[in-house]
Amino acid sequence: MTRWLLAGFLVLLVLLALYPMQGTGYGIRTMLQLFMWIALAQSWNLISGLTGYVSFGHVAFFGMGAYTAGILIGKLGWPWLLACLAGGVMAMVLALVIGWPCLRLKGPYFAIAMLGLNEVLRVIVSYYEGLTGGGSGLSLPTLHASVPIYYAMGLVALLVTALTYVIITSRFGLRLMTIREDEVAAEAMGIDTFRYKLYAFLLSAVAPGIVGGLAARDQGYIEPTSVFPLITTITMIVMALFGGKGTIWGPVLGAVLLFTFQELVWARFIYLHQLLFGAIIVGVVLLMPRGILGVLQQKYNLPRTI
Amino acid sequence: MTVVITPTMIGQVVISGLLAGSLYAMVALGLGLVFGVMRVLNVAHGPLLMLGAYTTFGLFQWLGLNPYLSLLVSMPALFVVGVVLQRLLVRRVVDAPELSSLLLTFGVSIAIVNLAQLGFTSDVRSVEYLTGSFVLGPFAFSKSRVIACAFALVITAGAFWFLRQTRLGKAIRAVSQSREVAQVCGINVQRIHMITFGLASALAAAGGTLIAVMVAIQPEMGQVYTFKSFLVIVLGGAGNYPGALLGGLLLGLIEQLSSLFITTQVNEAVAYILLVLVLLVRPTGLLKGRS
Repeated sequence: MTRWLLAGFLVLLVLLALYPMQGTGYGIRTMLQLFMWIALAQSWNLISGLTGYVSFGHVAFFGMGAYTAGILIGKLGWPWLLACLAGGVMAMVLALVIGWPCLRLKGPYFAIAMLGLNEVLRVIVSYYEGLTGGGSGLSLPTLHASVPIYYAMGLVALLVTALTYVIITSRFGLRLMTIREDEVAAEAMGIDTFRYKLYAFLLSAVAPGIVGGLAARDQGYIEPTSVFPLITTITMIVMALFGGKGTIWGPVLGAVLLFTFQELVWARFIYLHQLLFGAIIVGVVLLMPRGILGVLQQKYNLPRTI
Repeated sequence: MTVVITPTMIGQVVISGLLAGSLYAMVALGLGLVFGVMRVLNVAHGPLLMLGAYTTFGLFQWLGLNPYLSLLVSMPALFVVGVVLQRLLVRRVVDAPELSSLLLTFGVSIAIVNLAQLGFTSDVRSVEYLTGSFVLGPFAFSKSRVIACAFALVITAGAFWFLRQTRLGKAIRAVSQSREVAQVCGINVQRIHMITFGLASALAAAGGTLIAVMVAIQPEMGQVYTFKSFLVIVLGGAGNYPGALLGGLLLGLIEQLSSLFITTQVNEAVAYILLVLVLLVRPTGLLKGRS
């Protein structure tokens, strides 16, 4: 069974790698966005799915990456790939600065602090006009092909999923999940919970940072409201939840299903779009708190990490 | 160019801070009640406030009703909305991990905002009622803010009186202290949850009505108050109701002082940094709150 799944997965990867030769510009950009959502949902999963610490402002790292890359490319003329990697590094630095105090907070306080972080970054970015272009935004030189971005996004999505696999199947991951189940007990067992939470937090910030840079490069224009919307955080959370948080494949599954659904269905209901999305969130929370994989695990007695 | 800061300016700023802060305190008290009693972080609190503002706008526009009188409509109306929301949805995430309540109320919140956009369009509205300022010696204060502050203080005091003195209020506090013990004592916890959510929504509605006279009304106006209310209850100590008053006044002061010494644009950032600092020193807020 596992062997067939692995073979299927490899075939899928090859097909995706070859796709840009055949695909239309629209198709490539759509796929590129799907990769972005997989990477975002998966990276949220790394901190919140594994440790139970709800990062309610994860888009802050995305925005940090977007602005880092935007400034490096637009103002200093860095090559885009390097600038996007720098975006990942800066997101990690931000995670260190904010995680150091905030990961000591328990439950809801951490969630609120992360929500605040995102709002505050938006304010700061609007304020420092000289560097960021303020409210009127920052333009990047246009890139005429999305194909390199397609590969870069796909690679990030693949790597962050591989990272999740490595973590979940390691002692490190086991410790994170122990923290999630009972932090006091984990502490009593001699686990330095703060240190492990911080590591997980730093790792989970990198992919959104890089992806934010790539998205900025692809769009060619960034502004505070488009780069720090709470809805982006919520979307990645709902995707991870929908598929199954704390698992390897849940966030990928959730991202693919919800993104496809959004492209096919919601796009047709411009006026009701948000209402429908709100209803889906409520539905997922009430009906499937453990996600699709959670339901399957219970039904077929599969391992909880899968 | 340096701006000379005179004692008069500081006085003005302190009073403006307290004026704004009393309003924050009233709105945040609702959020704090829901969190204290149900352990639910209600992200839809701000959008409920926005509904209160539109209620006032509608009554003023179509019936010419005095905006302050419309408190008598907006508060009961949103009380009912709150009760319905609690019965239908929020009830199901009480005691669930905070992720569930955050997400559920966020879903509700974007649905409410979307409905407001459909109903009222995204155009900015305003209630042209009270303009101009009171002048008192060297100070000047916009009339609408002074009156809003007075109403907010009266309503907050009323809420405190209700919580301290009435049977129902005592039952609410009992449930927030220990649900099990309250249940054993014969308190209908489900009913208390419902009433608490209704009251919280009514407090948000009062905020919306008072704010409607001061600022522009539009469907997204509420979100910023959700964030501010979170700040207030965390500053004051979550689950500590008098703490909400302290936190509210403090937030008002911080915002005004930071706009005097730095700039208005970074208000939120300053308040947030202060919040993180407070939490570092006292992880449960300034007054004793719950972890």
